[in-house]
Amino acid sequence: MKSNFKTLLAAPLLLCIIALAVFGCENDPDDFEPASYSKNPEVFIDTFSSGLIYSSYGGAVADAFQVDTDVTYNNSAASMRFDVPNVNDPSGSYAGGSFYTSVGRDLTKYDALTFWAKSSVAATIDVVGFGNDFGDNKYQASITGLQISTAWRKYIIPIPDAAKLTAEKGMFFISEGPENGNGYTFWVDEVKFEKLGTITPQQPQIFNGQDVVQTSYAGVTTTIDGLVCAFNMPNGINQIVNVTPAYFTFTSSNQSVATVNEQGIVTTVGAGTAVITATVGGVDVLGSLTINSAGTYVHAPTPTQNPSNVISIFSDAYQNVPVNYYNGFWEPYQTTQSADFAVNGDNVLNYTNFNFVGIEFSSPTVDATGMSHMHLDLYIPNALPPGSNFKVGLVDFGADGAFGGGNDTNFTLTFTAPTLISQNWVSLNIPLANFTGLANRAHLGQIILEGANITNFYADNIYFYNDGSVIPPVPTAAAPTPSYPASDVISIFSDAYTNVAGSNLNPNWGQLTVVSQVPIAGNNTLKYAGLNYQGLQLASGLDVSSKNFLHLDYYSANSSALNVYLISTGPVEKLQSLTVPTTSGWNSIDIPLSSFAPVNLTDVIQLKFDGNGDIYLDNILFRN
Amino acid sequence: MRYFSKNSISNRRLAVCLLAVISVSVSGCNEDDKQSVSGRNWDLVWSDEFDGAAGELPDASKWGFDLGNNGGWGNQELENYTNDPENVSLDGNGNLVITAIKAGNSYTSARIKTQTLFSQKYGRFEARLKTPYGPGIWPAFWMLGANVGEVGWPQCGEIDIMELKGQQPNIIHGTVHGPGYSAGGAISSSYALQNSRFDLEYHVFAVEWSENKIDFFCDDFLYKRITKSDVPGQWVYDHDFYMILNIAVGGNYAGFPTSQTPFPQKMIVDYVKVYQ
Repeated sequence: MKSNFKTLLAAPLLLCIIALAVFGCENDPDDFEPASYSKNPEVFIDTFSSGLIYSSYGGAVADAFQVDTDVTYNNSAASMRFDVPNVNDPSGSYAGGSFYTSVGRDLTKYDALTFWAKSSVAATIDVVGFGNDFGDNKYQASITGLQISTAWRKYIIPIPDAAKLTAEKGMFFISEGPENGNGYTFWVDEVKFEKLGTITPQQPQIFNGQDVVQTSYAGVTTTIDGLVCAFNMPNGINQIVNVTPAYFTFTSSNQSVATVNEQGIVTTVGAGTAVITATVGGVDVLGSLTINSAGTYVHAPTPTQNPSNVISIFSDAYQNVPVNYYNGFWEPYQTTQSADFAVNGDNVLNYTNFNFVGIEFSSPTVDATGMSHMHLDLYIPNALPPGSNFKVGLVDFGADGAFGGGNDTNFTLTFTAPTLISQNWVSLNIPLANFTGLANRAHLGQIILEGANITNFYADNIYFYNDGSVIPPVPTAAAPTPSYPASDVISIFSDAYTNVAGSNLNPNWGQLTVVSQVPIAGNNTLKYAGLNYQGLQLASGLDVSSKNFLHLDYYSANSSALNVYLISTGPVEKLQSLTVPTTSGWNSIDIPLSSFAPVNLTDVIQLKFDGNGDIYLDNILFRN
Repeated sequence: MRYFSKNSISNRRLAVCLLAVISVSVSGCNEDDKQSVSGRNWDLVWSDEFDGAAGELPDASKWGFDLGNNGGWGNQELENYTNDPENVSLDGNGNLVITAIKAGNSYTSARIKTQTLFSQKYGRFEARLKTPYGPGIWPAFWMLGANVGEVGWPQCGEIDIMELKGQQPNIIHGTVHGPGYSAGGAISSSYALQNSRFDLEYHVFAVEWSENKIDFFCDDFLYKRITKSDVPGQWVYDHDFYMILNIAVGGNYAGFPTSQTPFPQKMIVDYVKVYQ
């Protein structure tokens, strides 16, 4: 989406002047002077200056910019007109583009880009500046939120350090979207670089002027941010100019500890202390970064859980679920700051000035009902004072899946020494069942970490996992097919044998249990949903005295009590309790019939189950 | 500066009355302009180079303090003057630094004066300094008649050697106030830098004052001459005057600071010298 404007509209006289100026500055093959770049300060006076090219930005209205000969500053021949579209304009969402040259210009003797502008309505231009050359944009400088009005006024964009602009191609760029949804028009004229002399540079800043201290390790990279270049303008008011890092010269006090590149990316390379400082145009910058490096980083243990059994919140070993934030900066009581770092691709959460911090993953919430544990690797770099503790809290947002709503539940567990140790990774594997205050864990939304006397810690590999002890609520595999010879079996409920005829699988004994037969992996299975008690009525008294065992396959993910009864006429009944939940999947059990005494084994008329939960049953049979 | 109050300078009147005499001075900022001012041999009689250790207050034998707010000093000024080194002290490099500080919605600054310590009639009074800046910042190097306590202001006379409105950091003003032509009616002129401003480099601000006239200089450039015949009232410049250096914040002259006024603001004074 490029549209090039050539110098079509130049008045002949002006063209001559510009041409002379340009030819006077550019290389002449007959000249023995070293090559130099044009010092032409003019960008757009009454037309495109020599060599100037315009390209609109992607997504912008391609023809939003036009040369206008009607509305001009000071009745000059032409101005630049920008037609900002209305919101939802199909041809583009904003007006924006860059004016640049293919050969750089020497702007070192100027101190500002200036222009005149007016608009059809009072408006605030999103961003306007120079140094955007559709290349590296190395020396970009801009002002955001430039307020313009319906009267022509002169605007000034100070050059952060003109000495850098020895061959600058980005002459002028601008980008502006609708105002309150409405399009409008603004005009820009007399765009040129000038030496004003009436601008006072303020002390530049990195880290917004703060002296930042970081604990670091070899391989950690930190980006210097908070770059501020401000200038006191001719009206006495300070103007902040957005700048690229290339205007700054960064220095490390100790290259063997930390290096810093032109982009302001600091890389810790060894143990010790290094202070990163900067200058702009030879002026010291306010703010610094002190790297205290302990040298080689000890990585958290690499997780070994099978990814299919993991819901990961923060780990490089797994695909993490969507996380809203790893630090909610909950006001007003939270003091915890984040200074996360990455060591050779290993991302680490680093909480400093720690009192508590919330990690939220509510879009969507996490269903951890199939998980057995929460895992967290914790590294406390400083010695642990007596009385230190570390608390891990889980918050379930309830059925509404949203914070609040009256159905949130939470529970917090506290860890102390000797579980907690410093200067070593502590791997917490916390059974989710220990979070006893959680009504369920189908809509987990937050992890809240809280501490006493722990000012700083690293966290890694935060995930929920199933060690196998949590089984799906519905079995995914069929009960194992029994292999006893048919001659040894009297079968009540099994596809492997011929069952005794006439059994009633759901006699009405006033129970709440919902009985059904469901196919599990193609195998017919008896399901007791919501068990309280449940009978199984045989057609007539059954003589099982020749058999030795009652065989059952049963499965329950959620039962906490389950008993099986044999009943003979009388009634005479005896129970045997079964282990639930069946943490290894189907549980095959053979109960010696002798243990059902005093039930008359020659006259078994009923079986009965009681307990709770959802129970799957198969291969109910008597065998030798 | 004025002792009590003043609303605005009268540049327009100045342009009319004094065009013939000092037309070159109002725009007298072109370095190529040549000006010949009749030379004079001055004898240095009083000076302060502000040599001393960083953090020291100015020499107590030469400077006293005006303190507090004094009801806005007649101009609705906002600052509270202190003698705290953070507002007024030597910088250890041969300069006196007066610092205007914003703390919440209040401001502290400093105002030092040679009253009762040194005053003189006629002569050359000069200071080399860099100004502060920002809307509502009002630095000044100025003089008051030493008889102010007896006859009051403006009868005592006031000579403002240098005043600046921080929202116009490239323009300084020289002014006299006397009976019948004080405050908004004062006789004043301005001197502007076209391609610089007064905070970027040191400039020397001076008056050369004799029986019949007061000449206002910036960097040895005469930009204003006020003679007895120029003042619409009584000529009250035939007695001793003392010197004052201060930064006011807010007030009727420079207007009031805004949220965009940068703080702190410093006036850095290299020296003050008086010649006879």
